[in-house]
Amino acid sequence: MTYTFDFMAVRHGLGVLFDGLLVTLELTVAANVIGLTFGFGLALLVMHRWAVLRWPASLFVEFFRCTPAIIQIVWFFYCVPMLFDVYLDAMTMGILALACNLTAFNAEAYRAAIQAVPRDYRDAGIALGLNGWQRIRYIVLPTAFRAALPVLVSNGIGIFQQTALVAIVALQDLMYMGKSLATESYRPIETFTVVALIYFAVSFPVSQLASWFEHRRDRLAR
Amino acid sequence: MMSTNTSAPLVSIRGLHKAYSPTVQVIKGIDLDMHAGDRLVVIGPSGGGKSTLLRVLMGLETIDKGSIAFDGQPYIQADEARGKTSIDTKVRNSIGMVFQNYTLFPHLTIVENLILAPCKSRGEKESVAKDRALTFLTRFGLRDKATVYPSQLSGGQKQRVAIARALMLDPKLMLFDEVTSALDPELVAEVEQVIQQLALQNLSMMIVTHDMWFAKNIASRVLFCAGGTIVEDGPPEQVMGAPREERTREFLSRVFHIGA
Ligand SMILES: Nc1ncnc2c1ncn2[C@@H]1O[C@H](COP(=O)(O)OP(=O)(O)OP(=O)(O)O)[C@@H](O)[C@H]1O
Ligand SMILES: [Mg+2]
Repeated sequence: MTYTFDFMAVRHGLGVLFDGLLVTLELTVAANVIGLTFGFGLALLVMHRWAVLRWPASLFVEFFRCTPAIIQIVWFFYCVPMLFDVYLDAMTMGILALACNLTAFNAEAYRAAIQAVPRDYRDAGIALGLNGWQRIRYIVLPTAFRAALPVLVSNGIGIFQQTALVAIVALQDLMYMGKSLATESYRPIETFTVVALIYFAVSFPVSQLASWFEHRRDRLAR
Repeated sequence: MMSTNTSAPLVSIRGLHKAYSPTVQVIKGIDLDMHAGDRLVVIGPSGGGKSTLLRVLMGLETIDKGSIAFDGQPYIQADEARGKTSIDTKVRNSIGMVFQNYTLFPHLTIVENLILAPCKSRGEKESVAKDRALTFLTRFGLRDKATVYPSQLSGGQKQRVAIARALMLDPKLMLFDEVTSALDPELVAEVEQVIQQLALQNLSMMIVTHDMWFAKNIASRVLFCAGGTIVEDGPPEQVMGAPREERTREFLSRVFHIGA
């Protein structure tokens, strides 16, 4: 194979790729903020003793975990407006679709971590006069959050990559910009190589930072 | 705070029954009065229901029959008809407990472990709670450990912190469930000394232990529990020195032989 790379040909497109990256980061950050908070609430519902709360919560989790993300996005963009007569801007829809997916996966991570919190801590909390809510807030949440952190980070990085799927519904993220640039410059190989490197350049430091934190925490607090 | 009713016992247990499941009957009818200042040591064979008794008193378990009053006030009541247990959480707050497995919260430093409950459940000011915490730590020889995490402590140090943490809430009764059983032998003494210190201050306590030497030394009264009932109850010299019941004699000869 004798392909001659010509990265110069896509140099002028770096600006638009950067614009796309900003959209991608916005989607990622918003989805993670929602996924980290609502995921915890959802995990509590999934474990609730009342079946009326447990059932819908579990259904939500299983639906988003057991269908392809790309279907979820398409479904959100085309079915939600028709079924529920709500029309939101594309960015909001994109964030909601990704956030629901991440919330479901994070809920699972939290659930596993919460169930791994030793039962002794509950007893100790009661013996110290902390009520149910205080035990969740000051004991269960921090211990579970620490235990779940590696999975939460990898879910978060995963969603950063999944954002590429919103390109098919014309949200102008990094992937979308990459596709347009490839078409326009007739240089798909160079373009997608650059796009891949940009995704990598963001994900890799985050994942390294996360494992560094994990390491440090293991050394400090057991 | 309500004034202590001097005539009423500190703890008064009536007709207590507790089963974990229909086939696991653990407490089969216990009546017990304990007075303020008593240091009640509970001994007995494994599986006899000692931990369960303490956990019930701490309000950690439901009960099937009976009632418990604390300091003259109703505390725990079994509602047999509805199969429910009512526990007065206000009354529960005057009881503290230390467990076999330390149960320090690993994400908090030692001081933070001590001030969590006073600040969050009692609304004590953080600076005030911190001062009290440091006083306790100094008293227990742990002043230099204030800002480290529990993982950096030895078992004996952890258990002393756990005791300090419970004392931060000024309990009227302390429950100790085999607090030295998980420790390496050379660390047992430092924890027992702390409990001895509390005994000197006349703190009411109920202690479950397998350490017969410690039991004899600290007890003002000894209960021998087996098969979910109190088999023998009296001063340490009598229960441990001249037991009336055959089961007590048999148990003591067994543990002292293993110990010797
Ligand atoms: N949560 C539980 N669920 C079911 N059974 C239990 C539970 N906790 C204790 N038991 C059972 O109840 C019985 C009494 O247990 P308990 O822990 O009160 O005994 P113990 O006197 O403290 O014994 P040990 O000296 O071994 O600590 C045992 O047979 C035990 O297996
Ligand atoms: Mg026990």
